[in-house]
Amino acid sequence: MSSQSIDIGLSKATEPASLALILGKAARVVFRVLVVCFCLTPFLLVIAISLGEKIEGAAWVWGFEFTHYERFFVGADWPNSYSGIYLQKLWYSLYYALIAAPIAVVTAFPFTYFLTRLTRRAQTVWLIFLLSSLSLSEVFIAMGWDVLLSNRSGLPMVLRELGITDWMKATGWFDVARDWGLASPRDLKFKTSLFATVLTMSYLVWPYAVILLYPALSRLDTSTVEAARTMGAGPWAVMRTVILPTVRIPLIGTTLLLFVFLLGVYVSVTVFADPSQHTLAVSIYGSVRGSTLNAPFGAAQSVILLITAGLFLVLSQILVSYAEKRR
Amino acid sequence: MTRLHWSAMIFMGLAAIVLAMPIVVVSAAALNGGRTMLFPPEDPTLARFVEFFVSEPVWRTALYNSTVIALGSAAIAVLAAWPMAYWIWKRSDTGSKALAGLAAMPFALPPIVFGVGLGFMWAFTGGLGTIWAAILSHAALFVALPLVTISIGLQSVDRAHLDAAATMGATEGVTFRTIVLPQTLPYTASGFFFAMVLSFNEFIVMFFVSSSAFSTVTLQIFNSLRNGFTPTMAVAAITFITVSVVAFSLVARFGDLPRLMGADQTRD
Repeated sequence: MSSQSIDIGLSKATEPASLALILGKAARVVFRVLVVCFCLTPFLLVIAISLGEKIEGAAWVWGFEFTHYERFFVGADWPNSYSGIYLQKLWYSLYYALIAAPIAVVTAFPFTYFLTRLTRRAQTVWLIFLLSSLSLSEVFIAMGWDVLLSNRSGLPMVLRELGITDWMKATGWFDVARDWGLASPRDLKFKTSLFATVLTMSYLVWPYAVILLYPALSRLDTSTVEAARTMGAGPWAVMRTVILPTVRIPLIGTTLLLFVFLLGVYVSVTVFADPSQHTLAVSIYGSVRGSTLNAPFGAAQSVILLITAGLFLVLSQILVSYAEKRR
Repeated sequence: MTRLHWSAMIFMGLAAIVLAMPIVVVSAAALNGGRTMLFPPEDPTLARFVEFFVSEPVWRTALYNSTVIALGSAAIAVLAAWPMAYWIWKRSDTGSKALAGLAAMPFALPPIVFGVGLGFMWAFTGGLGTIWAAILSHAALFVALPLVTISIGLQSVDRAHLDAAATMGATEGVTFRTIVLPQTLPYTASGFFFAMVLSFNEFIVMFFVSSSAFSTVTLQIFNSLRNGFTPTMAVAAITFITVSVVAFSLVARFGDLPRLMGADQTRD
């Protein structure tokens, strides 16, 4: 009798519990599906549409053809004529990132090192400043540098007023600046130029460089530095023989991440680079939303940018795991 | 804590100046009386602030859209990040890790590619150009941020408290409510603020998702780019940088910003 009542009690207790369990499992599955939907589907769609067929004068239909990739590598008129214009755009994407990422890392490295030597309180204030700058929209940053480099109220005006422009003209440096594309016949000008593009791009990722180097440098074992100093090593020797070898991997990893980030930069390139030197990101934008309107081709270019970025991300991952294994 | 060499201080000072320069110039340009961006400003006035916040509906609507998208997407990102971070912490199985890796992908890869993909996706599902699609898109893009901050927070939960709760017979739910959640609250808030601020400032993904049906402040500024920058846009820049500074100051006030950024916590 008593065992029966216990039985009933148990079954009553387990029934809602199992229902909750099933609901919980269902919610978990739904949640996972949603994450996959939102984070993976867009990339899969880009890949699928890159194989689609563009109909002249209309939109596009699903398909399975590699014409858009062919156009990317050898031009639309292949095999009658060869055009490497899109390969050149990819090269410019790589080129800007290749210059701007190392500049940002090289200048951010000593800064971050000094930052980690400050008190916790000072570090917090600096971090607020850095994070605010980091999150500031690219449109505002382009706007700021646009004013700073503009002929009427920016750097060219300052140099003119200070007489540096005249001095450059007198000594022949002005012609050098013209050769570098930094001057019009009469005055210095930085828009549009490689200098302005790379400067803005480095500025854009500089706070990222600090944030990415920060963990490694703040965990740096100070006792080895102090030991080296006590043994009479100068600051440069310490930097070269103690600090740099220990943070070599984070340094390379940071450069790679910034490089990937810069591959997709759009606003700075449109504002500061010469149209003949625009990047793949600008071309994607033009194909998908802009004047040329060719979604499958835009998608194909996106896939190529994606693969390029993915390669460098995988490289940085390999580097990190290699470093962890050695530890 | 060693005192920095004077040359180090000069270097940091110079870095601060370069970092602040475009921001200062843009902010000062907001005071221009005329329609052109001049530095130093000519005929200083605060009329541009009235234009941005009150009298010009274009900017008012854009600011409203930006705010709704930033707050909505940050809230969803935090809600989506919590279970993922919790599963990794609780079980650390391959499935949970793969899921988190997937969620971090949009943030790691070039945003323009994700934007193009989202544009296609919303075109098929009918969400293109709607605010809710924009909110979900930004939530997907920035879910990686609360995922990281909450994971850091979970690692800081005191194991002794968990053991004590388990010995006293607390269920997983009770432990979660009374120990895990309160101790990770600052990290959850940090994740929210990070996602919010970045969504507020994001441009390229929003460009593809909005499909010109609505505009946010950053979109509006980019659209006006061809006609040149105007001082009213500079007011937007001031607003945005203020929001960032306030948000990150709150993170620093209620949480440990150096630790959140990966500093060694044993040293001070």
